[in-house]
Amino acid sequence: MKIETESSGVVWKVLKQAGDTVEADESILLLELMKMEIPVVAPRAGRIERVLVDEGDMVEEDQVVAILADD
Amino acid sequence: MTDKDNSGEWSAELDELDRRRELALRMGGEQALEKMRSKGRMNARERIGVLLDAGSFRELGRITGRGKYDDNGDLVDLEPVNAIIGTGRIDARKVAVSADDFSVAAGSSEGTISDKWIYIERLALAHRMPLVRLVDSAGGSVRLIRQMDTTKIPGYDHWNSTDLVDHVPVVGIGLGSCAGLGAIKVLASNFSVMVRDQAQVFAAGPPVVKQAYGVDITKEELGGAKLHRKSALVHNEAEDERDAFDQARRFLSYMPRNAWRLPEVIECDDDRERADDWLAHAVPHDKRKVYDPRPILRSVFDRDSVFEIGAKQGRSIITALARLDGVSVGVLAGDPRSAGAAMTSTSAYKMERHIRLCSTFGLPIIHFVDQPGNATGLEAERAGTLLGALRVGEAVERARVPWISIIVRRVFGMAGAMHAPRVFPALNYTFAWPSARWGSIPIEGGVAAAHRQEIAEAADPDARREELEAWYHKLGSPFRTAERFGVVDIIDPRETRSVLCDWVEDAREVLVTDRGVC
Repeated sequence: MKIETESSGVVWKVLKQAGDTVEADESILLLELMKMEIPVVAPRAGRIERVLVDEGDMVEEDQVVAILADD
Repeated sequence: MTDKDNSGEWSAELDELDRRRELALRMGGEQALEKMRSKGRMNARERIGVLLDAGSFRELGRITGRGKYDDNGDLVDLEPVNAIIGTGRIDARKVAVSADDFSVAAGSSEGTISDKWIYIERLALAHRMPLVRLVDSAGGSVRLIRQMDTTKIPGYDHWNSTDLVDHVPVVGIGLGSCAGLGAIKVLASNFSVMVRDQAQVFAAGPPVVKQAYGVDITKEELGGAKLHRKSALVHNEAEDERDAFDQARRFLSYMPRNAWRLPEVIECDDDRERADDWLAHAVPHDKRKVYDPRPILRSVFDRDSVFEIGAKQGRSIITALARLDGVSVGVLAGDPRSAGAAMTSTSAYKMERHIRLCSTFGLPIIHFVDQPGNATGLEAERAGTLLGALRVGEAVERARVPWISIIVRRVFGMAGAMHAPRVFPALNYTFAWPSARWGSIPIEGGVAAAHRQEIAEAADPDARREELEAWYHKLGSPFRTAERFGVVDIIDPRETRSVLCDWVEDAREVLVTDRGVC
Protein backbone atom coordinates (compact mmCIF):
# COMPACT_ATOMS: atom_id res chain seq x y z
CA MET A 1 0.00 0.00 0.00
CA LYS A 2 1.39 3.40 -1.00
CA ILE A 3 1.59 6.07 1.68
CA GLU A 4 1.09 9.49 0.11
CA THR A 5 1.62 12.90 1.67
CA GLU A 6 -1.40 15.16 2.18
CA SER A 7 0.88 18.18 2.15
CA SER A 8 3.99 19.51 0.51
CA GLY A 9 6.98 20.27 2.75
CA VAL A 10 10.50 19.31 3.75
CA VAL A 11 11.09 15.93 5.38
CA TRP A 12 12.13 16.93 8.88
CA LYS A 13 12.26 13.60 10.73
CA VAL A 14 12.00 10.03 9.47
CA LEU A 15 10.54 8.13 12.42
CA LYS A 16 10.22 4.63 10.98
CA GLN A 17 12.52 2.41 8.92
CA ALA A 18 11.92 -0.57 6.67
CA GLY A 19 10.86 -3.52 8.80
CA ASP A 20 9.30 -1.43 11.59
CA THR A 21 5.67 -2.02 12.51
CA VAL A 22 3.19 0.83 12.85
CA GLU A 23 -0.23 1.26 14.41
CA ALA A 24 -3.09 2.96 12.57
CA ASP A 25 -2.61 6.76 12.65
CA GLU A 26 0.95 6.43 13.92
CA SER A 27 3.41 8.88 12.39
CA ILE A 28 5.87 7.47 9.86
CA LEU A 29 7.62 10.76 9.24
CA LEU A 30 7.27 14.46 9.99
CA LEU A 31 7.27 17.19 7.36
CA GLU A 32 7.99 20.80 8.13
CA LEU A 33 6.35 23.75 6.39
CA MET A 34 5.42 27.26 7.51
CA LYS A 35 6.94 26.41 10.92
CA MET A 36 4.52 23.52 11.44
CA GLU A 37 5.32 19.86 12.02
CA ILE A 38 3.05 17.94 9.69
CA PRO A 39 2.87 14.20 10.36
CA VAL A 40 2.50 11.61 7.60
CA VAL A 41 0.63 8.79 9.28
CA ALA A 42 -0.11 5.14 8.54
CA PRO A 43 -3.73 4.68 7.41
CA ARG A 44 -3.79 1.23 9.01
CA ALA A 45 -1.58 -0.96 11.20
CA GLY A 46 1.13 -2.88 9.39
CA ARG A 47 4.79 -3.29 8.56
CA ILE A 48 6.84 -0.67 6.72
CA GLU A 49 8.26 -2.24 3.57
CA ARG A 50 10.21 0.82 2.37
CA VAL A 51 10.74 4.48 3.18
CA LEU A 52 11.34 6.40 -0.05
CA VAL A 53 12.63 9.74 1.28
CA ASP A 54 15.45 11.06 3.45
CA GLU A 55 15.53 13.88 5.97
CA GLY A 56 15.95 17.17 4.11
CA ASP A 57 14.13 16.04 0.95
CA MET A 58 11.44 18.39 -0.50
CA VAL A 59 8.20 16.54 -1.11
CA GLU A 60 5.04 17.49 -2.99
CA GLU A 61 1.41 16.88 -2.11
CA ASP A 62 0.33 13.30 -3.00
CA GLN A 63 3.93 12.12 -3.29
CA VAL A 64 4.48 8.49 -2.33
CA VAL A 65 6.89 8.54 0.62
CA ALA A 66 6.62 5.02 2.00
CA ILE A 67 5.23 1.59 1.21
CA LEU A 68 3.22 -0.40 3.75
CA ALA A 69 3.50 -4.16 3.27
CA ASP A 70 0.34 -5.76 1.87
CA ASP A 71 0.41 -8.78 4.18
CA MET B 1 -53.11 9.39 -16.29
CA THR B 2 -54.35 5.95 -15.25
CA ASP B 3 -56.91 3.62 -16.91
CA LYS B 4 -56.88 5.49 -20.20
CA ASP B 5 -59.50 4.75 -22.83
CA ASN B 6 -58.64 6.11 -26.28
CA SER B 7 -61.91 5.12 -28.01
CA GLY B 8 -63.62 7.90 -29.95
CA GLU B 9 -62.97 10.13 -32.97
CA TRP B 10 -59.35 10.73 -32.08
CA SER B 11 -58.46 7.19 -31.10
CA ALA B 12 -55.96 6.77 -33.96
CA GLU B 13 -54.05 9.89 -33.02
CA LEU B 14 -54.17 9.12 -29.30
CA ASP B 15 -52.91 5.61 -30.05
CA GLU B 16 -50.12 7.12 -32.16
CA LEU B 17 -49.16 9.41 -29.29
CA ASP B 18 -48.97 6.44 -26.93
CA ARG B 19 -46.95 4.47 -29.47
CA ARG B 20 -44.45 7.27 -30.06
CA ARG B 21 -43.99 7.66 -26.31
CA GLU B 22 -43.33 3.91 -26.01
CA LEU B 23 -40.82 3.94 -28.84
CA ALA B 24 -38.86 6.76 -27.22
CA LEU B 25 -38.46 4.68 -24.03
CA ARG B 26 -36.30 2.17 -25.91
CA MET B 27 -33.57 4.83 -26.06
CA GLY B 28 -30.63 3.59 -28.20
CA GLY B 29 -31.87 -0.01 -28.31
CA GLU B 30 -31.22 -3.13 -26.27
CA GLN B 31 -27.69 -3.70 -27.58
CA ALA B 32 -26.46 -0.23 -26.67
CA LEU B 33 -28.19 -0.39 -23.28
CA GLU B 34 -26.67 -3.80 -22.55
CA LYS B 35 -23.22 -2.40 -23.35
CA MET B 36 -23.71 0.32 -20.74
CA ARG B 37 -25.05 -2.21 -18.24
CA SER B 38 -22.05 -4.48 -18.76
CA LYS B 39 -19.77 -1.57 -17.81
CA GLY B 40 -21.71 -1.06 -14.59
CA ARG B 41 -23.35 2.14 -15.80
CA MET B 42 -26.97 3.16 -15.41
CA ASN B 43 -28.77 4.42 -18.50
CA ALA B 44 -30.12 7.98 -18.68
CA ARG B 45 -33.67 7.11 -17.59
CA GLU B 46 -32.46 4.97 -14.70
CA ARG B 47 -30.22 7.82 -13.60
CA ILE B 48 -33.11 10.29 -13.66
CA GLY B 49 -35.15 7.77 -11.66
CA VAL B 50 -32.47 7.56 -8.94
CA LEU B 51 -31.76 11.30 -8.84
CA LEU B 52 -35.37 12.44 -8.49
CA ASP B 53 -38.09 11.65 -5.97
CA ALA B 54 -39.89 8.50 -7.13
CA GLY B 55 -42.46 9.14 -9.85
CA SER B 56 -41.84 12.89 -9.95
CA PHE B 57 -40.27 13.15 -13.43
CA ARG B 58 -42.34 15.18 -15.91
CA GLU B 59 -40.61 14.67 -19.23
CA LEU B 60 -40.76 17.31 -21.93
CA GLY B 61 -40.34 16.59 -25.63
CA ARG B 62 -40.21 12.83 -25.17
CA ILE B 63 -41.23 12.19 -28.76
CA THR B 64 -38.38 14.12 -30.38
CA GLY B 65 -36.33 11.95 -32.70
CA ARG B 66 -35.95 10.66 -36.25
CA GLY B 67 -39.15 9.08 -37.48
CA LYS B 68 -39.07 6.27 -40.09
CA TYR B 69 -42.10 6.03 -42.35
CA ASP B 70 -43.51 3.48 -44.78
CA ASP B 71 -44.64 4.22 -48.32
CA ASN B 72 -48.04 5.30 -46.97
CA GLY B 73 -46.40 7.90 -44.80
CA ASP B 74 -47.21 6.00 -41.62
CA LEU B 75 -44.80 5.74 -38.73
CA VAL B 76 -42.76 2.58 -38.66
CA ASP B 77 -40.13 3.46 -36.07
CA LEU B 78 -38.82 6.38 -34.00
CA GLU B 79 -35.17 6.80 -33.08
CA PRO B 80 -35.08 9.16 -30.10
CA VAL B 81 -32.56 11.97 -29.73
CA ASN B 82 -30.03 11.67 -26.93
CA ALA B 83 -31.23 14.69 -24.94
CA ILE B 84 -33.77 13.79 -22.26
CA ILE B 85 -35.23 16.81 -20.46
CA GLY B 86 -37.95 17.63 -17.99
CA THR B 87 -38.72 18.71 -14.46
CA GLY B 88 -39.12 16.74 -11.26
CA ARG B 89 -38.63 16.98 -7.53
CA ILE B 90 -35.71 16.44 -5.20
CA ASP B 91 -36.84 16.19 -1.56
CA ALA B 92 -40.18 17.56 -2.78
CA ARG B 93 -38.54 20.67 -4.28
CA LYS B 94 -38.90 21.41 -7.98
CA VAL B 95 -35.83 21.03 -10.23
CA ALA B 96 -35.11 20.90 -13.96
CA VAL B 97 -33.14 17.97 -15.34
CA SER B 98 -31.11 17.55 -18.49
CA ALA B 99 -29.65 14.12 -19.21
CA ASP B 100 -27.41 12.87 -22.02
CA ASP B 101 -28.53 9.49 -23.30
CA PHE B 102 -25.21 7.78 -24.04
CA SER B 103 -26.97 4.85 -25.70
CA VAL B 104 -27.83 7.10 -28.65
CA ALA B 105 -24.75 8.13 -30.66
CA ALA B 106 -22.63 8.10 -27.47
CA GLY B 107 -24.46 11.21 -26.31
CA SER B 108 -22.73 13.25 -28.98
CA SER B 109 -23.92 16.28 -30.88
CA GLU B 110 -24.86 14.28 -34.01
CA GLY B 111 -27.60 12.54 -32.04
CA THR B 112 -29.18 15.56 -30.38
CA ILE B 113 -31.36 18.52 -31.09
CA SER B 114 -29.56 21.43 -29.49
CA ASP B 115 -32.79 23.46 -29.25
CA LYS B 116 -34.08 20.77 -26.92
CA TRP B 117 -31.31 20.71 -24.31
CA ILE B 118 -30.95 24.48 -24.50
CA TYR B 119 -34.69 24.76 -23.85
CA ILE B 120 -34.51 23.11 -20.42
CA GLU B 121 -31.67 25.46 -19.50
CA ARG B 122 -33.83 28.44 -20.51
CA LEU B 123 -36.78 26.94 -18.63
CA ALA B 124 -34.77 26.55 -15.42
CA LEU B 125 -33.94 30.24 -15.50
CA ALA B 126 -37.37 31.45 -16.70
CA HIS B 127 -39.22 29.37 -14.07
CA ARG B 128 -36.52 30.06 -11.49
CA MET B 129 -35.62 26.55 -10.39
CA PRO B 130 -32.37 24.58 -9.97
CA LEU B 131 -30.94 22.69 -12.92
CA VAL B 132 -29.15 19.34 -12.73
CA ARG B 133 -27.16 18.20 -15.77
CA LEU B 134 -26.37 14.47 -16.07
CA VAL B 135 -23.47 14.68 -18.49
CA ASP B 136 -22.40 11.63 -20.46
CA SER B 137 -21.50 12.92 -23.86
CA ALA B 138 -18.71 12.30 -26.31
CA GLY B 139 -19.12 15.97 -27.28
CA GLY B 140 -18.93 17.29 -30.83
CA SER B 141 -18.76 14.96 -33.77
CA VAL B 142 -17.47 15.64 -37.27
CA ARG B 143 -20.33 13.49 -38.56
CA LEU B 144 -22.57 16.42 -37.75
CA ILE B 145 -20.92 18.37 -40.58
CA ARG B 146 -22.04 15.72 -43.05
CA GLN B 147 -25.51 15.69 -41.55
CA MET B 148 -25.87 19.45 -41.80
CA ASP B 149 -23.95 19.72 -45.08
CA THR B 150 -22.06 22.70 -43.62
CA THR B 151 -19.88 23.77 -40.73
CA LYS B 152 -20.95 26.39 -38.21
CA ILE B 153 -19.23 28.85 -35.90
CA PRO B 154 -19.11 27.07 -32.54
CA GLY B 155 -21.36 28.15 -29.70
CA TYR B 156 -25.03 28.52 -28.99
CA ASP B 157 -26.59 31.96 -29.11
CA HIS B 158 -29.52 30.95 -26.92
CA TRP B 159 -27.58 29.17 -24.21
CA ASN B 160 -27.51 31.51 -21.21
CA SER B 161 -25.20 29.48 -18.99
CA THR B 162 -23.75 32.58 -17.29
CA ASP B 163 -27.17 33.95 -16.31
CA LEU B 164 -28.06 30.52 -14.99
CA VAL B 165 -25.23 30.17 -12.48
CA ASP B 166 -25.86 33.70 -11.21
CA HIS B 167 -29.56 33.06 -10.53
CA VAL B 168 -30.35 29.38 -9.97
CA PRO B 169 -28.34 26.55 -8.39
CA VAL B 170 -26.80 24.55 -11.24
CA VAL B 171 -25.28 21.11 -10.65
CA GLY B 172 -23.05 19.41 -13.23
CA ILE B 173 -22.56 15.63 -12.84
CA GLY B 174 -19.80 13.96 -14.90
CA LEU B 175 -20.78 10.36 -15.65
CA GLY B 176 -18.54 9.47 -18.59
CA SER B 177 -15.96 11.08 -20.84
CA CYS B 178 -16.97 14.74 -20.93
CA ALA B 179 -15.02 16.61 -23.59
CA GLY B 180 -15.56 20.07 -25.05
CA LEU B 181 -19.23 20.94 -24.70
CA GLY B 182 -19.62 18.02 -22.28
CA ALA B 183 -16.86 19.43 -20.08
CA ILE B 184 -18.44 22.88 -20.12
CA LYS B 185 -21.80 21.39 -19.14
CA VAL B 186 -20.16 19.90 -16.05
CA LEU B 187 -18.09 22.97 -15.18
CA ALA B 188 -20.50 25.85 -15.92
CA SER B 189 -22.22 25.11 -12.64
CA ASN B 190 -22.31 26.08 -8.97
CA PHE B 191 -21.41 22.56 -7.91
CA SER B 192 -19.87 19.76 -9.94
CA VAL B 193 -19.17 16.14 -9.14
CA MET B 194 -17.56 13.38 -11.20
CA VAL B 195 -17.56 9.61 -10.76
CA ARG B 196 -14.09 8.32 -9.91
CA ASP B 197 -12.62 5.82 -12.40
CA GLN B 198 -15.58 6.36 -14.74
CA ALA B 199 -15.81 10.04 -15.66
CA GLN B 200 -13.24 12.34 -17.20
CA VAL B 201 -13.46 16.05 -17.87
CA PHE B 202 -11.12 17.63 -20.40
CA ALA B 203 -10.99 20.12 -23.26
CA ALA B 204 -10.29 17.26 -25.66
CA GLY B 205 -9.65 13.55 -25.29
CA PRO B 206 -6.61 11.35 -26.01
CA PRO B 207 -7.11 11.02 -29.81
CA VAL B 208 -7.08 14.80 -30.28
CA VAL B 209 -4.08 15.16 -27.93
CA LYS B 210 -2.26 12.44 -29.85
CA GLN B 211 -3.01 14.19 -33.13
CA ALA B 212 -1.86 17.58 -31.81
CA TYR B 213 1.17 16.63 -29.72
CA GLY B 214 2.06 13.08 -30.68
CA VAL B 215 1.63 12.18 -27.02
CA ASP B 216 0.07 8.93 -25.78
CA ILE B 217 -1.99 9.51 -22.67
CA THR B 218 -4.95 7.73 -21.15
CA LYS B 219 -8.36 9.30 -20.51
CA GLU B 220 -7.83 8.95 -16.76
CA GLU B 221 -4.43 10.65 -16.82
CA LEU B 222 -5.73 13.50 -18.97
CA GLY B 223 -8.94 14.31 -17.12
CA GLY B 224 -9.77 11.85 -14.34
CA ALA B 225 -10.74 12.64 -10.77
CA LYS B 226 -7.11 12.58 -9.60
CA LEU B 227 -6.09 15.25 -12.09
CA HIS B 228 -8.92 17.48 -10.98
CA ARG B 229 -7.66 17.45 -7.41
CA LYS B 230 -4.90 19.63 -8.85
CA SER B 231 -6.94 21.69 -11.31
CA ALA B 232 -9.75 22.24 -8.79
CA LEU B 233 -12.16 22.48 -11.72
CA VAL B 234 -14.55 19.73 -10.62
CA HIS B 235 -15.57 20.28 -6.99
CA ASN B 236 -16.19 16.75 -5.76
CA GLU B 237 -15.51 13.13 -6.55
CA ALA B 238 -18.03 10.31 -6.18
CA GLU B 239 -17.44 6.63 -5.54
CA ASP B 240 -20.14 5.63 -7.99
CA GLU B 241 -23.19 7.03 -9.76
CA ARG B 242 -25.49 6.75 -6.75
CA ASP B 243 -22.98 8.62 -4.61
CA ALA B 244 -22.84 11.37 -7.25
CA PHE B 245 -26.64 11.74 -7.16
CA ASP B 246 -26.63 11.72 -3.35
CA GLN B 247 -24.11 14.54 -3.36
CA ALA B 248 -26.15 16.53 -5.87
CA ARG B 249 -29.23 16.10 -3.69
CA ARG B 250 -27.29 17.04 -0.57
CA PHE B 251 -25.85 20.17 -2.18
CA LEU B 252 -29.29 21.32 -3.31
CA SER B 253 -30.70 20.84 0.20
CA TYR B 254 -28.65 23.85 1.37
CA MET B 255 -29.68 26.02 -1.57
CA PRO B 256 -32.77 28.15 -2.16
CA ARG B 257 -34.90 27.47 -5.22
CA ASN B 258 -33.29 30.52 -6.85
CA ALA B 259 -31.18 33.57 -5.95
CA TRP B 260 -34.25 35.71 -5.43
CA ARG B 261 -35.07 33.59 -2.38
CA LEU B 262 -33.11 32.50 0.67
CA PRO B 263 -32.52 28.87 1.68
CA GLU B 264 -35.29 27.31 3.74
CA VAL B 265 -34.72 27.24 7.50
CA ILE B 266 -35.27 23.67 8.63
CA GLU B 267 -36.44 22.28 11.98
CA CYS B 268 -33.52 21.89 14.37
CA ASP B 269 -33.47 20.04 17.69
CA ASP B 270 -29.74 20.55 18.26
CA ASP B 271 -29.28 22.83 21.30
CA ARG B 272 -27.94 26.29 20.41
CA GLU B 273 -25.96 26.23 23.65
CA ARG B 274 -24.38 22.82 23.11
CA ALA B 275 -20.73 23.04 24.25
CA ASP B 276 -18.46 20.05 23.74
CA ASP B 277 -15.83 20.06 26.47
CA TRP B 278 -12.92 18.82 24.37
CA LEU B 279 -13.06 22.00 22.25
CA ALA B 280 -11.24 23.86 25.03
CA HIS B 281 -8.07 21.89 24.20
CA ALA B 282 -8.68 21.11 20.53
CA VAL B 283 -5.79 23.28 19.33
CA PRO B 284 -2.41 21.95 20.55
CA HIS B 285 -0.61 24.25 22.98
CA ASP B 286 2.68 23.53 21.18
CA LYS B 287 2.40 25.96 18.30
CA ARG B 288 4.33 23.68 15.94
CA LYS B 289 1.80 20.87 16.24
CA VAL B 290 -1.07 20.62 13.77
CA TYR B 291 -4.70 19.68 14.43
CA ASP B 292 -7.59 18.54 12.24
CA PRO B 293 -10.24 21.28 11.95
CA ARG B 294 -12.98 18.88 10.79
CA PRO B 295 -13.96 17.55 14.24
CA ILE B 296 -14.17 21.17 15.42
CA LEU B 297 -16.56 22.00 12.57
CA ARG B 298 -18.67 18.90 13.25
CA SER B 299 -18.91 19.96 16.87
CA VAL B 300 -19.97 23.59 16.47
CA PHE B 301 -22.38 23.26 13.53
CA ASP B 302 -25.72 21.43 13.73
CA ARG B 303 -25.13 17.69 14.12
CA ASP B 304 -24.52 15.90 10.77
CA SER B 305 -24.94 19.14 8.84
CA VAL B 306 -21.41 19.66 7.49
CA PHE B 307 -21.10 18.92 3.74
CA GLU B 308 -17.56 19.40 2.50
CA ILE B 309 -16.85 20.71 -1.01
CA GLY B 310 -13.48 20.23 -2.72
CA ALA B 311 -11.95 18.13 0.08
CA LYS B 312 -9.05 16.91 -2.04
CA GLN B 313 -8.19 20.23 -3.69
CA GLY B 314 -6.43 23.32 -2.37
CA ARG B 315 -6.28 21.50 0.95
CA SER B 316 -4.93 24.44 2.96
CA ILE B 317 -8.52 25.61 3.18
CA ILE B 318 -11.64 23.59 3.97
CA THR B 319 -14.83 24.79 2.28
CA ALA B 320 -18.19 23.42 3.32
CA LEU B 321 -21.90 23.98 3.63
CA ALA B 322 -23.47 23.48 7.03
CA ARG B 323 -26.34 24.61 9.25
CA LEU B 324 -26.66 26.62 12.41
CA ASP B 325 -30.00 26.32 14.18
CA GLY B 326 -31.44 25.08 10.87
CA VAL B 327 -30.06 28.00 8.79
CA SER B 328 -27.87 27.13 5.77
CA VAL B 329 -24.42 28.67 6.06
CA GLY B 330 -21.08 28.62 4.27
CA VAL B 331 -17.94 27.54 6.09
CA LEU B 332 -14.25 28.29 5.55
CA ALA B 333 -11.53 26.82 7.78
CA GLY B 334 -7.75 26.83 7.47
CA ASP B 335 -6.24 23.32 7.63
CA PRO B 336 -2.69 23.39 9.00
CA ARG B 337 -2.15 19.75 7.99
CA SER B 338 -1.73 20.94 4.43
CA ALA B 339 1.16 23.33 3.80
CA GLY B 340 0.65 24.65 7.33
CA ALA B 341 -2.60 26.22 6.02
CA ALA B 342 -0.61 28.62 3.83
CA MET B 343 -2.61 30.18 1.00
CA THR B 344 -1.67 28.62 -2.35
CA SER B 345 -3.01 29.61 -5.75
CA THR B 346 -5.37 26.60 -5.69
CA SER B 347 -6.60 27.15 -2.14
CA ALA B 348 -7.18 30.81 -2.99
CA TYR B 349 -9.29 29.83 -6.00
CA LYS B 350 -11.23 27.32 -3.90
CA MET B 351 -11.91 29.96 -1.26
CA GLU B 352 -12.96 32.55 -3.85
CA ARG B 353 -15.42 30.23 -5.59
CA HIS B 354 -16.98 29.26 -2.25
CA ILE B 355 -17.45 32.89 -1.21
CA ARG B 356 -19.12 33.62 -4.57
CA LEU B 357 -21.44 30.61 -4.18
CA CYS B 358 -22.53 31.65 -0.68
CA SER B 359 -22.90 35.27 -1.71
CA THR B 360 -25.08 34.40 -4.71
CA PHE B 361 -27.48 32.19 -2.78
CA GLY B 362 -27.68 34.00 0.56
CA LEU B 363 -25.63 31.80 2.86
CA PRO B 364 -23.92 33.73 5.68
CA ILE B 365 -20.24 32.87 6.00
CA ILE B 366 -18.27 31.61 9.01
CA HIS B 367 -14.48 31.59 8.74
CA PHE B 368 -12.43 29.55 11.21
CA VAL B 369 -9.21 31.43 10.64
CA ASP B 370 -5.83 29.71 10.66
CA GLN B 371 -3.74 31.52 8.08
CA PRO B 372 0.05 31.83 8.31
CA GLY B 373 0.25 33.80 5.06
CA ASN B 374 0.76 33.19 1.36
CA ALA B 375 2.96 30.30 0.30
CA THR B 376 6.40 31.66 -0.54
CA GLY B 377 9.31 30.55 -2.68
CA LEU B 378 9.98 30.20 -6.38
CA GLU B 379 7.30 27.61 -7.17
CA ALA B 380 4.66 29.67 -5.37
CA GLU B 381 5.66 32.83 -7.22
CA ARG B 382 5.63 31.01 -10.57
CA ALA B 383 2.14 29.73 -9.78
CA GLY B 384 0.98 33.31 -9.37
CA THR B 385 0.02 32.76 -5.75
CA LEU B 386 -0.48 36.48 -5.14
CA LEU B 387 -3.02 36.72 -7.96
CA GLY B 388 -5.10 34.15 -6.10
CA ALA B 389 -4.75 36.20 -2.93
CA LEU B 390 -5.85 39.38 -4.70
CA ARG B 391 -8.91 37.66 -6.11
CA VAL B 392 -9.81 36.25 -2.70
CA GLY B 393 -9.44 39.72 -1.20
CA GLU B 394 -11.84 41.11 -3.79
CA ALA B 395 -14.29 38.25 -3.31
CA VAL B 396 -14.27 38.81 0.45
CA GLU B 397 -14.98 42.53 0.16
CA ARG B 398 -17.67 41.93 -2.49
CA ALA B 399 -19.47 39.25 -0.45
CA ARG B 400 -23.13 40.17 -0.12
CA VAL B 401 -23.74 38.09 2.98
CA PRO B 402 -23.01 38.63 6.69
CA TRP B 403 -19.67 37.28 7.85
CA ILE B 404 -18.18 36.16 11.16
CA SER B 405 -14.56 35.16 11.76
CA ILE B 406 -13.44 32.93 14.61
CA ILE B 407 -9.67 33.16 14.85
CA VAL B 408 -8.54 29.75 15.96
CA ARG B 409 -4.81 30.08 15.53
CA ARG B 410 -2.63 32.10 13.16
CA VAL B 411 -3.48 35.28 11.26
CA PHE B 412 -0.43 36.65 9.47
CA GLY B 413 0.44 38.60 6.39
CA MET B 414 -1.70 39.81 3.52
CA ALA B 415 -3.50 36.45 3.37
CA GLY B 416 -4.34 36.81 7.06
CA ALA B 417 -5.53 40.38 6.51
CA MET B 418 -8.26 39.19 4.17
CA HIS B 419 -9.91 36.84 6.66
CA ALA B 420 -13.14 38.87 6.59
CA PRO B 421 -14.58 41.99 4.96
CA ARG B 422 -12.71 44.81 6.70
CA VAL B 423 -13.40 47.99 4.85
CA PHE B 424 -15.75 50.34 6.69
CA PRO B 425 -18.73 50.12 7.03
CA ALA B 426 -18.23 46.32 7.19
CA LEU B 427 -18.82 45.28 10.81
CA ASN B 428 -15.75 42.98 11.00
CA TYR B 429 -17.45 40.72 13.55
CA THR B 430 -14.35 38.85 14.70
CA PHE B 431 -13.77 36.66 17.73
CA ALA B 432 -10.64 34.79 18.81
CA TRP B 433 -9.80 31.73 20.83
CA PRO B 434 -7.00 32.01 23.42
CA SER B 435 -4.85 30.02 20.97
CA ALA B 436 -4.99 32.89 18.44
CA ARG B 437 -1.77 34.59 17.37
CA TRP B 438 -1.49 37.42 14.86
CA GLY B 439 0.86 39.95 13.34
CA SER B 440 2.10 41.36 10.06
CA ILE B 441 5.09 39.07 9.92
CA PRO B 442 6.03 36.02 11.96
CA ILE B 443 7.98 36.88 15.08
CA GLU B 444 10.91 34.57 14.35
CA GLY B 445 11.68 36.08 10.95
CA GLY B 446 10.93 39.57 12.24
CA VAL B 447 13.34 39.31 15.19
CA ALA B 448 16.12 37.89 13.04
CA ALA B 449 15.74 40.86 10.68
CA ALA B 450 15.18 43.72 13.12
CA HIS B 451 17.76 42.65 15.74
CA ARG B 452 20.34 41.20 13.37
CA GLN B 453 23.26 43.23 14.64
CA GLU B 454 22.42 42.79 18.33
CA ILE B 455 22.12 39.03 17.90
CA ALA B 456 25.35 38.77 15.91
CA GLU B 457 27.28 40.73 18.54
CA ALA B 458 25.87 38.77 21.53
CA ALA B 459 28.09 36.36 23.46
CA ASP B 460 25.61 33.54 22.68
CA PRO B 461 23.69 34.60 19.57
CA ASP B 462 21.19 31.69 19.68
CA ALA B 463 20.36 32.35 23.32
CA ARG B 464 19.92 36.09 22.70
CA ARG B 465 17.68 35.44 19.69
CA GLU B 466 15.52 33.06 21.74
CA GLU B 467 15.34 35.61 24.55
CA LEU B 468 14.14 38.31 22.17
CA GLU B 469 11.63 35.96 20.52
CA ALA B 470 10.22 34.96 23.91
CA TRP B 471 9.72 38.61 24.84
CA TYR B 472 7.95 39.40 21.55
CA HIS B 473 5.78 36.32 22.00
CA LYS B 474 4.60 37.71 25.35
CA LEU B 475 3.65 40.93 23.55
CA GLY B 476 1.86 38.79 20.98
CA SER B 477 -0.67 37.45 23.48
CA PRO B 478 -4.18 37.97 22.09
CA PHE B 479 -5.28 39.31 25.48
CA ARG B 480 -3.17 42.43 24.93
CA THR B 481 -4.92 43.05 21.61
CA ALA B 482 -8.27 42.53 23.34
CA GLU B 483 -7.36 45.20 25.92
CA ARG B 484 -7.36 47.72 23.07
CA PHE B 485 -10.53 46.33 21.44
CA GLY B 486 -8.40 45.13 18.54
CA VAL B 487 -10.76 42.14 18.33
CA VAL B 488 -14.44 42.06 19.39
CA ASP B 489 -13.79 39.43 22.05
CA ILE B 490 -11.70 36.48 23.14
CA ILE B 491 -13.98 33.51 23.80
CA ASP B 492 -13.67 30.13 25.41
CA PRO B 493 -13.71 27.65 22.48
CA ARG B 494 -16.65 25.90 24.14
CA GLU B 495 -18.71 29.09 23.70
CA THR B 496 -18.31 29.02 19.92
CA ARG B 497 -21.60 27.33 18.98
CA SER B 498 -23.50 29.68 21.27
CA VAL B 499 -21.85 32.74 19.68
CA LEU B 500 -22.51 31.43 16.16
CA CYS B 501 -26.16 30.53 16.77
CA ASP B 502 -26.78 33.94 18.28
CA TRP B 503 -25.15 35.61 15.28
CA VAL B 504 -26.96 33.55 12.64
CA GLU B 505 -30.31 34.93 13.82
CA ASP B 506 -29.01 38.44 13.07
CA ALA B 507 -27.40 37.32 9.80
CA ARG B 508 -30.77 35.99 8.71
CA GLU B 509 -32.44 39.28 9.62
CA VAL B 510 -29.92 41.18 7.49
CA LEU B 511 -30.50 38.90 4.50
CA VAL B 512 -34.28 38.97 4.76
CA THR B 513 -34.47 42.74 5.04
CA ASP B 514 -31.71 43.29 2.46
CA ARG B 515 -33.20 41.10 -0.23
CA GLY B 516 -36.84 41.67 0.66
CA VAL B 517 -37.53 37.94 0.61
CA CYS B 518 -38.50 35.11 2.90
